[in-house]
Amino acid sequence: MSDYAHPDVLVSTDWVRAHLGQPGVRLVEVDVDTQAYAAGHLPGAIGWNWQTQLQDRLTRDILAKAAFEELVGNAGIANDDTVVLYGDHSNWFAAYAFWLLAQYGHRDVRLMNGGRAKWLNEPDRPLTPTPAAIAPTRYTASGPNLALRARVAEVLEASHRRAAKLVDVRSPDEFTGKVIAPPGMTETAQRGGHIPGAKSVPWNSAVNPDGTFKSRPELEAIYLRGAGLDPTGKTIAYCRIGERSSHTWFVLTYLLGFANVKNYDGSWTEYGSMVGLPIEREA
Amino acid sequence: MNYATRVYDDILQTLPNVDNPTPMVRVNRLNPAPAFPLYAKLEWFNPFGSVKDRAAYYLIRDMQRHGGLSPARGIVEPTSGNTGISLAAMCAALGYRMRAVVPNRVPQEKKVLLKIAGAELDVVNDDVCPSPGMGEGSINLAKTYAKAQSERYAMPNQYENEENVRAHYETTGPEIWRQTEGRLTHLFLSLGTCGTVTGCSRYLKGRNPAVKVIAVQPSEGHDVPGLRNITQLDVSKLFDPTLIDEILEIDYHLAYTRALDLAQQEGLLAGPSAGLIFEGAHRIVARDRAGFGVMIFPDNVFKYVSSMLKHLPQLTDGTVPRSGGPGERVHE
Repeated sequence: MSDYAHPDVLVSTDWVRAHLGQPGVRLVEVDVDTQAYAAGHLPGAIGWNWQTQLQDRLTRDILAKAAFEELVGNAGIANDDTVVLYGDHSNWFAAYAFWLLAQYGHRDVRLMNGGRAKWLNEPDRPLTPTPAAIAPTRYTASGPNLALRARVAEVLEASHRRAAKLVDVRSPDEFTGKVIAPPGMTETAQRGGHIPGAKSVPWNSAVNPDGTFKSRPELEAIYLRGAGLDPTGKTIAYCRIGERSSHTWFVLTYLLGFANVKNYDGSWTEYGSMVGLPIEREA
Repeated sequence: MNYATRVYDDILQTLPNVDNPTPMVRVNRLNPAPAFPLYAKLEWFNPFGSVKDRAAYYLIRDMQRHGGLSPARGIVEPTSGNTGISLAAMCAALGYRMRAVVPNRVPQEKKVLLKIAGAELDVVNDDVCPSPGMGEGSINLAKTYAKAQSERYAMPNQYENEENVRAHYETTGPEIWRQTEGRLTHLFLSLGTCGTVTGCSRYLKGRNPAVKVIAVQPSEGHDVPGLRNITQLDVSKLFDPTLIDEILEIDYHLAYTRALDLAQQEGLLAGPSAGLIFEGAHRIVARDRAGFGVMIFPDNVFKYVSSMLKHLPQLTDGTVPRSGGPGERVHE
């Protein structure tokens, strides 16, 4: 992990095992499958439900600062704590939570490389169904740092004028328009296809079979030489609802050291449903 | 046990073995080569309706022998349905808890059957943009229960447990050998956990190394419950390619059309996985023209009505009254 641009934001399962229960280290599990935390989680970890806790469901937006402070404070996280996020699907929603914490200026946030599946499938890694004991804190956020987030106007600008490179990290069938969303998903769009000018680099290009991130040379081969992205230019990643693109945002920003990467969390559910916007479809 | 009178002390005594085999029925009208007799071994005659009863019993028996089960500690298992139904019914008969973790794509009939059989049910969306090698949600959730709540759940893990193989080595294989009087030349089956193919092939090739074992698999992107495409087999530690002579990949839609053919032309109310196996066997029989074939039909079609309707929507034709309803027709 040491040759990544910012290796300090990634910790191994061994590191987490060694720091279980250590004061100042808070573990947070965020899964696509919201029943997984209750079945069993790392001792001391609290669980966040992406469907009910990480967005403002009324405004369809990221949490407002006050709501974010309440969420983090109620999780017992203090401003100077080290927050280690992990989850299923190689950290999809853990990366989304990372992106949210980064926007609100948490100083020390990290991902557990490989996520919950790696921990689960290693010997002698404890799990418990018992919810962690929490002593709420008074948490103070800064920001939000809007430099990490793309809105639709900026995406249109990127598409029309090539002002930034767009990376579509969904599956190939979603990119071509063969399907609008993966099977069984309720958050969907009116049309299938992709944003004109976007490059298809599925999120899982970045991970090994065990869910850990590929090495820096491998990632450079994929994102720089393969997709033609520019570490010094502007890049916008998108998917369906912003969680898989958070994963790629993390890769480009922290592992490859791109200077300016934004996550378009409105993603295809927003863009694919807007009236009059151009799309490309191959299917 | 007196299998002639068919009177038993409990349901588990009806499980098949070499003295109480599941039936083998000859395929007649759909066989393209009369010199190549082809039989279907009807595994839905197992007490809980599928071939999975065999493995489930061996898994539970092994856990009992090793003290793994108690009234407080039951079973959790990832399953596409049939193993879960077998385990749930056996647990009900034996007084154990059972938790089944199933992929969402499993037909509704199977999910409800699991609940009817007494299982606690977790449904997992396994198809959300999967990544090769990263494991499957249903397997990982079941493992989580077994690890985090080990005082409540033990996981037999049909994908890795050699008892799954042993069940077929000790029952299915010897049954087929005796039922065919050693004349078997071709065995046709499908790949899932690979317990059936590994156990049967190991036994039958031990009796006659010339027996050909032919595995039939659905094409990629399939929705045939319980079966795996070759690209999905890394999850099964029981897969041993040296025991398989040939693997056929068949368009999975044919699983459903061939199941319909078997019902309507042979009176065999076979499920879609049996339909797929039959299509593979049909191709080999037509090619080789001589031999003696046995197909293992995993279960019948009763649990797959919704899947059949999805692939064969014409089956809904005529299932509702014609316009006007019966009352109106009385006056026609």
